[in-house]
Amino acid sequence: MMAFYFSRLVEIYPFFLKGLLMTSKIAFISLISCTLIGFVLGIARSSNNLILKRVVGVYVAFVRGTPFVVQIFIIFFILPEWGLQLEAFPAALLAMAIMGSAFICEIVAGGINSIPKGQWEAATSSGLTLIQQLRLVIVPQAMKVILPPLVGQYVLLIKDTSVVSVIGVMELTRVGWVTVVRIPEGLMVFSLVGVLYFSISYPLILLSNYLERRMAVQ
Amino acid sequence: MIEFKNVNKWFGKLHVLNNINLKISKGEVLVICGPSGSGKSTLIRCINRLEKIQDGEIIVNSSLVHKKSSNLTQLRGEIGFVFQQFHLYPHMTVLQNIMLAPVNVKKISKKEAEKISMKKLDQVGLTGKSGAYPAQLSGGQQQRVAIARGLAMSPEIMLFDEPTSALDPEMIGEVLDVMVNLVSEGMTMCVVTHEMGFAKKVADRVLFMDEGMIVETGTPDEFFDSPKTDRAAEFISKILTH
Repeated sequence: MMAFYFSRLVEIYPFFLKGLLMTSKIAFISLISCTLIGFVLGIARSSNNLILKRVVGVYVAFVRGTPFVVQIFIIFFILPEWGLQLEAFPAALLAMAIMGSAFICEIVAGGINSIPKGQWEAATSSGLTLIQQLRLVIVPQAMKVILPPLVGQYVLLIKDTSVVSVIGVMELTRVGWVTVVRIPEGLMVFSLVGVLYFSISYPLILLSNYLERRMAVQ
Repeated sequence: MIEFKNVNKWFGKLHVLNNINLKISKGEVLVICGPSGSGKSTLIRCINRLEKIQDGEIIVNSSLVHKKSSNLTQLRGEIGFVFQQFHLYPHMTVLQNIMLAPVNVKKISKKEAEKISMKKLDQVGLTGKSGAYPAQLSGGQQQRVAIARGLAMSPEIMLFDEPTSALDPEMIGEVLDVMVNLVSEGMTMCVVTHEMGFAKKVADRVLFMDEGMIVETGTPDEFFDSPKTDRAAEFISKILTH
């Protein structure tokens, strides 16, 4: 029986590849958008502007304090009631961007706050603008602190893409669900799903470990 | 060139600058001393608005530094600031440290900036160190690079906030020598320091602060040899015997 199912599985592997492709697509777009938004928010969160700091703080607290599934439901099922109707795919991307950017914001803010005040003062008194201070002096130094946990966060985000299966996006986990209906070998099907996730995240785990060691040495 | 008019500043309840009135003219060398917490560092940090004041006016080269709306980017380029802890950029080489502001603030070409920077590096006696990172230098060398970094913008004013306080004794001399050379070039300088030898040698005026107020001013000889106030006399006896 097992062998029979295995051959069925081999038959439908293009379906899995499609799922893997979709997962990769969501992950790739999300990592980029989360990083960009996360850096902007993180810089705002570490700024001296109290209002900006508070607003971003509330955003981060809300996002971190609610389950991702609930956030997706709100975006996919509640927003349409307020007139914002999104297809499953863009809704998934939006949800990922909101959730991931909040976590990256905290990592970035932590990195920036770790830079001694004197670096800001030296840059300020030499006449650099705020943007130049960040770009040339602060962020390059903060990257050493930011990079290892950032890559770790990427791994978490890649795995979190599985949650968007709940709104019907045909990514890897969804493919697993659909497949297991036709091939009732749950262990086999979801092992395959797991292995495919692992194949994307493991290189990043290695990268994170490597960065952590390298940054620790410096 | 630099003028303080009735300047007041508070850190919470602490009255850190108490009704400061002060004029510093072009080419003058002013030494500011006083016990820690007397407001002397705060005073010079106000000149390029590293600290904001709550009351009064500060005018530097006709720029109204106290005004929120004033854009200080250009003015800051004209004022060099040297910190007690150097604050070199650790991720850049010595040359990159010095070139950063000329290239990005003055927008001069990298080639030109490199030429100027090498000249300034030569002026502080560190020609061979252009490719080194700050962490590879001694404290005295780092501070000299910091001075070169300030000079690379061709400032009209140099501010020094306890430039030798974080240095081992044997390195103080090399930094002071560089500063004495600057004086001979006619640089306007405000120096927060307890280096009496330096003050006596080059200062035009010594300003003694305590509890946010300017308690006494005078020529170095007047101040160190025959202070007018008890507070200053007590302070001088302390730095002499330390």
